[in-house]
Amino acid sequence: MLRKKNMTALVEAIDLKKTYMLGKVPVEAVRGVNMKVEAGDFVSILGPSGSGKSTMLNLIGALDKPTSGQLLIDGEDISKLNDNQLTDLRRRIGFVFQFFNLIPRLTARDNVELAMSIADMVKSERKQRAAELLEKVGLKDRVNHKPAELSGGQQQRVAIARALANNPKFLLLDEPTGNIDSRTAAEIVGLLKKLNIENHVSIIMVTHDQHLAREANRILEMFDGQLISEVVNQQ
Amino acid sequence: MKTYDILGYSFSAIKLRKLRAALTTLGVIIGIAAIVALLSITQGLQVSITNDLNRGLSSTSLIVVPGSNALGAVGGGAGFGGGGGRAARATGTTGINLGGSGAASSGFALYDNYTSQIDALSPLITSSMAVIERAGYVDAGGLNNSATFYGINFSQYVQQYPTTFVAASGAIPTNPSNNDIVVGARVNDPRENGTILFSAGDKVGIVWTNATTPPIIINETYTAQVSGVLQKVGGFGFGGPSDNGVYMPLSQAVSFFGTNQCDYIIVQLKDSSNATISNVSKLITDHFDGQVTVISSTAVLSLLSTIFGTIQLFLGGIAAISLLVAGIGIMNIMIVSLIERTREIGILKALGMKSRTVLSIFLGESAIIGLIGALLGILSGWILANITARLLASGAFGGTGFKVTPLLTPEVFAGSLAFGIGISIIFALYPAWRASKLKPVEALRYE
Repeated sequence: MLRKKNMTALVEAIDLKKTYMLGKVPVEAVRGVNMKVEAGDFVSILGPSGSGKSTMLNLIGALDKPTSGQLLIDGEDISKLNDNQLTDLRRRIGFVFQFFNLIPRLTARDNVELAMSIADMVKSERKQRAAELLEKVGLKDRVNHKPAELSGGQQQRVAIARALANNPKFLLLDEPTGNIDSRTAAEIVGLLKKLNIENHVSIIMVTHDQHLAREANRILEMFDGQLISEVVNQQ
Repeated sequence: MKTYDILGYSFSAIKLRKLRAALTTLGVIIGIAAIVALLSITQGLQVSITNDLNRGLSSTSLIVVPGSNALGAVGGGAGFGGGGGRAARATGTTGINLGGSGAASSGFALYDNYTSQIDALSPLITSSMAVIERAGYVDAGGLNNSATFYGINFSQYVQQYPTTFVAASGAIPTNPSNNDIVVGARVNDPRENGTILFSAGDKVGIVWTNATTPPIIINETYTAQVSGVLQKVGGFGFGGPSDNGVYMPLSQAVSFFGTNQCDYIIVQLKDSSNATISNVSKLITDHFDGQVTVISSTAVLSLLSTIFGTIQLFLGGIAAISLLVAGIGIMNIMIVSLIERTREIGILKALGMKSRTVLSIFLGESAIIGLIGALLGILSGWILANITARLLASGAFGGTGFKVTPLLTPEVFAGSLAFGIGISIIFALYPAWRASKLKPVEALRYE
């Protein structure tokens, strides 16, 4: 695995804290996390439900702001960004969700193109790129199918193609195999590893599944809002 | 995100729920159709009445009526008289008499000999003549037909209205004897279908119900000789010849109606320039210490357009209410849509869509609905107006009917289009704003 040193980290958390209100009760979901993800990494954040990993995902995805501490994404401190700047930052992150979150009325190609049109890419360019990406994830013959006409695994592939649409700095995955059968899950994992190794796509994956987490190069385990271990996977 | 991409995305959302979108659009269609139908009918009516009026009015004449604010009253009379073409006939009066009634309260009256005073006021005046006007009926061998009697100076009247005061049969006497009369086309042919009650040369009874000294009411009568029947004038005689008029010499009217008081004085001018009209109008008004109103054709026409403006505003306003209801429908649907699509908005924001783009998508959806609704509404309104015009012409609403050509002006077209789209966008502002303000984390969590 190529690992370039002395580069700006993709993601760097310094004493990161996030407290939110559950009704009138404050919940400290993330309590002082320090971590770093470098370009080319394949990192998984592992933890049981309630460990704070979903909150970490929202923070790393620039969907939410920290209560205190620093979170640098691609060199930018997200607590200092306004809503518009956060939106811009999100265009540099490729999201893949547990429930695929494709737009049901759009075809596979249109779903991929949507992400590019949001980023103002011109029509001719995005058409070609959408076709290339769908081919890369193995859906060359499914481009005109709507999500309801695709299996769970195929939908997740479309979601991965969409996440890659704008050449993101890294992919951010939330339980990417949580909603598909184990065989298809293995295929998805294979695709992710291929993207990481062959195309040098950096990946951050949040999961509660230990088997899945072990597929990453580095496993950060969370419990009760804190990082409790970091394991470097020597595969 | 580019505008065409935004509109394309909006359109894909509309297409997904076709029935819902169609029903929402129907609301806009009905509102716009109502506005277009009412306005194009009223505007058509205005044009046809203005044309009728132009036929009855002479641009080189002024009409002097007693009363300081008689013009307003005349306007009321003209509006309703013109609206039916038959209302004036039913009451047996032109609008001018309504002006005359204003005089009773002020105590000022015009007399037939005031014409010499008026003639002397300015060299711009060619001549002036007094007119006495009363409602009554003509008795033709037991068949009664209501009519308006006018006491006039025949030769002056011919001079004043050379194109309309023309005999179709018989002749207009230049030196009439007291019992000579000339009648309008509808007096001897009230149904306008050729069933004539009498012809030129016949003798008819003139009946006027004298109620000037109540409680005594007497039917005054005399037998008149029909010298001539006028050709059809059309429209409605405003000061000028009327199809429903019975014209008798002024001297006969003075003795028959037992008064020297005239209802109005028609003043003929040397030319029709605005300067002449306003100069002479002022001279006459000043001469009578402001106790008369001088009506010119231009003033009547401008009043008419004011009246129609008000009518259009009123009718358009009523129609606009239905569009407001449609707007509330749009708002309702957009709020439902916003709730249904909360998760979708979360996805779009996670993909990096800006809040203002989310706003534009929602506004785009309602603008598309507004545009389609307005276009279809204008089309259906225009069809509706033409159907109504045909029904009016065929007499489906009673009587022989009257002709109106609906008029769709570019202003009404553009205005309805803008209004339809505008209302749709305005009512979508709140739901669109709420959609744009959704927090991505919460929206993504929404089930």
